Amino acid sequence: MNNMEEILWNFIDGNCTAEEQKTITGLIAGDESYRLKYQELMQLNNEFSAMELDEPSMAFTYNVMEVIRTEHAHVPLKATINKRIILGITIFFVLTLMTLLVVVFANFNWAGQKSPVNLSLGFTMPDINFSKARPLLEGFLFFDVVLGLYLFDTWLRRRNLAKQV
Amino acid sequence: MQSKLSDIALIQQTLAGDQSAYADLVKRHQRYVFTLAMRFAKVREDAEEIAQDCFIKAYRSLASFQGQAKFTTWLYSIVYTTSMTFLRKKRVATDSIDDENTFIQVEEKASAYDINNAENKSRSFYLNQAIEQLLPDDAAIITLFYKGEQSLEEIAVALGMEANTVKVKLFRARQRLKEKLERNLKHEAQELI
Repeated sequence: MNNMEEILWNFIDGNCTAEEQKTITGLIAGDESYRLKYQELMQLNNEFSAMELDEPSMAFTYNVMEVIRTEHAHVPLKATINKRIILGITIFFVLTLMTLLVVVFANFNWAGQKSPVNLSLGFTMPDINFSKARPLLEGFLFFDVVLGLYLFDTWLRRRNLAKQV
Repeated sequence: MQSKLSDIALIQQTLAGDQSAYADLVKRHQRYVFTLAMRFAKVREDAEEIAQDCFIKAYRSLASFQGQAKFTTWLYSIVYTTSMTFLRKKRVATDSIDDENTFIQVEEKASAYDINNAENKSRSFYLNQAIEQLLPDDAAIITLFYKGEQSLEEIAVALGMEANTVKVKLFRARQRLKEKLERNLKHEAQELI
């Protein structure tokens, strides 16, 4: 009996191979017990498919979203800062310092005799030739000025906005 | 008229910071999630708490959703684990969850309630009543299969079982449901006579 039910449920669920389907269709058509059981299971299957879903309360979605909104509001400032921005700034400064160091050391006159500072220990300050690095230094200073103006402008805008509020 | 966005599109919008997209996702699936939670909790208030918890958990780990399975399969797996945790927290031990006797009380209460409302009952009422009397796993598998639009393989993923195990469990669950439905209807007929 169980075997018959199992076969028929597989057939109803569509879990049979084409060959099995053909065999079961034949059994339903020719065997009275199979036909009756098939009709019974089909009726149950239709009833199961038609069962109704339960409905949560009207405020369900609102409640869920309220919890999510509250969680977002409680996120500390540290967690909201984009770490990529911090990394970008770090990389910029490290590269700038490295470039400056390379330029300075490249233009270092280690055997220079023209140092204005004469150390008593017989050490003479190296002569630094800034002529080659001048455009780079000018560019760097120009960038700093633009960055400073941009930050100053941002600060002024924020202050004005705070005053308006 | 704006066409209905897919679950994946709503997830992408949510991940981009649009919370209203997630609200749409909740509205779309809340009945399925709530019904599934009801199969475990049996009490509306508890089921609502579980369902709410599931959507919050899903939101928190939305970025980890790979999109390899259906969103509903992923969501139902959250419902299943949350429901099981909830039941354990409620001090319903695992052995008693699997013990059909636990649900005899529910069954008796339901039968007593039936007698007073005989005229208003439809077959769907008896079906819901019979589902309530099933073990949580059986009720969940039947709900997922018939209402959750989940295949046997997807149910297996959601419940963390083998597809063959789910197939056997579905077969047994349908048998038990049929027996309970017949018993409830028989009992009702006797009461009417």
